[in-house]
Amino acid sequence: MALVELRGVSKSFQKGDETITPLDDVDLSIEQGEFVSLMGPSGTGKSTLLNLVSGIDRVDSGTIFVDGTEITELSRSKLADWRAANLGYIFQTHNLIPVLTAYENVELPTLLLKLSSTERRQRVELALEAVGLSDRAEHYPRQLSGGQEQRVGIARAIVSHPKVVVADEPTGSLDTETSEQIQVLLQRLNKELNITMLMVTHDAEAAEIASRRLLLQNGKFVEREKTVLVPEDQTPASGSVATQ
Amino acid sequence: MITYVLKTLWRHRTRTLLTVSGAAVAMFVFCFVGSVQEGLNRLTTGEDADRSLIVFQENRFCPTSSRLPEDYAGKIKEVSGVRDVMPIQVWTNNCRASLDIVVFNGADPEQIRSSRPIELVEGSWDGFESQRDAAIVGRNVAQRRGLDAGDQFSIGEISVKVAGVFESSVPSEENLIYTSLAFLQYTRGLDAAGLVTQHEVTLAEGADPDRVASEIDAKLRTGAVATKTRRKGAFQASTLSDLVDLIGFAHWLGYACVGLVLSLVATTTVMSVQDRMKEYAVLQTIGVRPVRTMRLVLAESTLLCIVGGFSGTLFALALLWGGGFAIGAEGATIAFRPSIGLAVSGISISALVGVVAGVAPAVQAATVPIVDALRQA
Repeated sequence: MALVELRGVSKSFQKGDETITPLDDVDLSIEQGEFVSLMGPSGTGKSTLLNLVSGIDRVDSGTIFVDGTEITELSRSKLADWRAANLGYIFQTHNLIPVLTAYENVELPTLLLKLSSTERRQRVELALEAVGLSDRAEHYPRQLSGGQEQRVGIARAIVSHPKVVVADEPTGSLDTETSEQIQVLLQRLNKELNITMLMVTHDAEAAEIASRRLLLQNGKFVEREKTVLVPEDQTPASGSVATQ
Repeated sequence: MITYVLKTLWRHRTRTLLTVSGAAVAMFVFCFVGSVQEGLNRLTTGEDADRSLIVFQENRFCPTSSRLPEDYAGKIKEVSGVRDVMPIQVWTNNCRASLDIVVFNGADPEQIRSSRPIELVEGSWDGFESQRDAAIVGRNVAQRRGLDAGDQFSIGEISVKVAGVFESSVPSEENLIYTSLAFLQYTRGLDAAGLVTQHEVTLAEGADPDRVASEIDAKLRTGAVATKTRRKGAFQASTLSDLVDLIGFAHWLGYACVGLVLSLVATTTVMSVQDRMKEYAVLQTIGVRPVRTMRLVLAESTLLCIVGGFSGTLFALALLWGGGFAIGAEGATIAFRPSIGLAVSGISISALVGVVAGVAPAVQAATVPIVDALRQA
């Protein structure tokens, strides 16, 4: 069985009188160590899929297995425990806790695990080192730049050694240069630490760092090949990437 | 996680300070009112409330209007079940309810020393017994009036020399000034010679107070002045009846203060939680259980209440301890006395209110729709 496996997953929303079904009987498998990027137009259900895999949203039908655990069967409390031990979540807007320092923010997930204080400290220091922010450990989020905040967010996502890390447009709120730094960091973490990643992005360039690229269209996945960037003035209005 | 709670409270320090102050003021009032209630309870249900009787002139209420022959003491002693009788002349500067009432009790110094639960903390018994105008002053009065042994103290037509300051296990005693009976009778004029305000009867072991009271009144019915004898507790409750009603009402004021704290802390916590719904969603996304989220919110509200309640209670107790406050009417006084019970109940109620106030916002934080909350800007 793949590390992440979705079988016949459907999810609908009610918007006024209209029922929207962004995910309709979707199947997906992600192997251990894979870095999967997920693209698609707005409202196609990319973030919904991410939320379902994270267990912070519920499927209407279908099942989701992560490392053999059927998370669709778990209660809210059990899901929290499962997330603490198995999942790292990188938010688009960082979502650091403003009253805590970078160190304390990264430490938070480890407080939910049964770790000794020494092990906890080691993990936090390693995670901060991995994102290059050891020297900013005592800074509060308001004292950090957007890119640094996101790196703290990434450290927080990997500190508990999760089976899978999901990232919801992790470069969405960053400038180009910082965005590139974050992409490199994610790629490095995937390769060096063998962390399985599922990343939702609007950014075609960011999607390219993944080992596997998926496009979500009309509630279904379409596998995308490696793309080449085409200058904007030569592209049709529909998009800025072309499949090779 | 306690770091998170403490830092969250510190982040909103103005709100925290205002809430803590509100809780402190409310618990201060609660404890102050509680001390009055406790004082009244001690007065009317204390150890000697049922084992002593007060013989007063029938249909008279103010000490200035009760005039009983001193020699009634001998007749009262003849009633079976009476162990001892102490004729007392009472003088007060104010028959109406007052916060600065001064009450003199004139009685035989020997009897005072042997029958009253008092102990001198300043001065000497010899000085009291040997000088005609000597007085021993209760600690509360001494505190309020700034009196020490050796001072001269005058009020109205009475002027005494303070021979000592006493403390007592019965708080209301500490609001009295004792002089010799003869001295107090003398200051009221020659027509007061041989007259006293009341007789205090100490019952013998096993004697039925109501039977003894009836027998005393029956025996003295043929005398010059008819009497009304009641248990000391009942007598004092009746003397202070107007105040008892007022204190009963103030008791509700105490509960209203608890309600006020509840409402204040609940409102603050709800507002705080609503401002941070996204934060709670983030915490749960990271893996914090809903129950733990609840505990975080409950910890916040309980801390606010405990800190506020503790400060208010402590301040109230310190003020009660140092102030020596008392309220009295018609010669009876209620001491506002701090007690461990009051401190424990003040702090316990604060903690309980903190938990109750946090329940609704805690449930709100624990059941936050994570995805919707994360979408909040």
